[in-house]
Amino acid sequence: MKRYGEHRFPGKLFVVEGIDGSGKSTQIMLLNEWLKSEGYGVVFSEWNSSPLVRDITRRGKKKQMLAPSTFSLIHATDFADRMEHNIIPLLKAGAVVLCDRYIYTAFARDVVRGMEPKWVRELYAFAVKPTVAFYFRVSLEVAMKRILVGRKGFKYYEAGMDLDLSENPDESFRLFQGRILDEYEKMIAEFDLMVIDAALPIEAQQSQMRQIVRGRLTQAKRLRVAP
Amino acid sequence: MRETYGVLLPGIDLADLTGKLIVIEGTDGVGRSTQLHLLRPWLEQQGHAVVDTGITRSELAGKGIKKAKEGHTLGRITLTLFYATDFADRLKNQIIPALRAGFVVLTDRYIYSLMARAMVRGLDPAWIRNIYSYALKPDAVFYLRIGVDDLIPRVVFSRGFDYWESGMDLHPSEDMYESFRKYQSSLLAQFDTLAQEYDFEVIDASADVRTIFTQLQSGIARVLDGRIRERFAAPEAGSSEKPRPAGSPVIEVKERIPAPAVAATED
Repeated sequence: MKRYGEHRFPGKLFVVEGIDGSGKSTQIMLLNEWLKSEGYGVVFSEWNSSPLVRDITRRGKKKQMLAPSTFSLIHATDFADRMEHNIIPLLKAGAVVLCDRYIYTAFARDVVRGMEPKWVRELYAFAVKPTVAFYFRVSLEVAMKRILVGRKGFKYYEAGMDLDLSENPDESFRLFQGRILDEYEKMIAEFDLMVIDAALPIEAQQSQMRQIVRGRLTQAKRLRVAP
Repeated sequence: MRETYGVLLPGIDLADLTGKLIVIEGTDGVGRSTQLHLLRPWLEQQGHAVVDTGITRSELAGKGIKKAKEGHTLGRITLTLFYATDFADRLKNQIIPALRAGFVVLTDRYIYSLMARAMVRGLDPAWIRNIYSYALKPDAVFYLRIGVDDLIPRVVFSRGFDYWESGMDLHPSEDMYESFRKYQSSLLAQFDTLAQEYDFEVIDASADVRTIFTQLQSGIARVLDGRIRERFAAPEAGSSEKPRPAGSPVIEVKERIPAPAVAATED
């Protein structure tokens, strides 16, 4: 079992992280379009998307059966399935893999739920270290404004209702996101996260991202046939 | 007070877990189920409330693991974490509440089997130990130990080879017999290491059902504060508190011992 930092693959792995409302999903979507137009073999891998574990996670959430420990472990199981069956083989093949959320999401959420930081980090030791991990830094106020537009209510775990922070889901969500934000801030130095100011215009953020990614694309395979 | 192997899970209070946690460990087909079927009624006759649990019996993940294994599609890390999820759910929702209520929790395997399986599959021992560091330390672990030569006829002549018990995910090019031999031999070697590290009470599982049962009774009686011993053992001259030599029978087995049940395949 190779550990974080020990993997050496020809492919490239770019991940985006940040709290809800940071705009990271928009940015990685734009990056994906650009990379495809440049002729790279790009594959998109989402958090929580392994077909195998998805049904169990969904049921556990719906029935509110998840404790902090099982919440953490079921997400790690899901992530492991994607890592073993999807991300690693793709990186071996030389693909550019894009992930909307990565292990840092788990570190933030699980620690806020009371799991030991060291335990959670070791749990994910099998993960490949990303080529670049972008962190979209945004204030809680700005993020909340973006999210609350056109949204009707939060789901139980999404709002961190299991933490008993507040009986009001909106208030609970705000408190929960605030704590997540604190965890992200601690991880910037620890994991060398590439900070992007998510308060900037979308175009400005995207242009920064492309510049950084461009410099890291040596060895990644371009498709021979023009798209 | 009860302890874990290092990490305390949030929301779990270790105080007042007055019940007893008793683990029966051993490899596939060694006769664990047969013994557990005898132990439960015996303990209940002594007035102990018993909860039994075992791998893949969680409400959250049990069915999912079984379903996933049918397709043989799980990676090694994924399968290991799936089992850890199942265990965490059972710890929180079955084992801890039962211990708090003063039950005897009899568990068919514990973290050790899960660790052994993961290590045989080449996963990092430090990584796997960290995962299970939130597990409660049990009051006793009885390890039903068997050699691979004694194990083979038991498994093969009762239910045949199973894909996972034969470690076919590790040796896909071998026939089931060769693979079973290799896989179970490395598993048993891992168990022997764990037995030392975690201080298992080793029971020779090549003995007959009655002999094993008697040894388990003796060991469990010791764990249960001698409550059973006082009631059933002939008082020894001088002091009834004198420690009994390991392995000596405690009570006569009155129940008819059934033939070893054809146990289910690996959980």
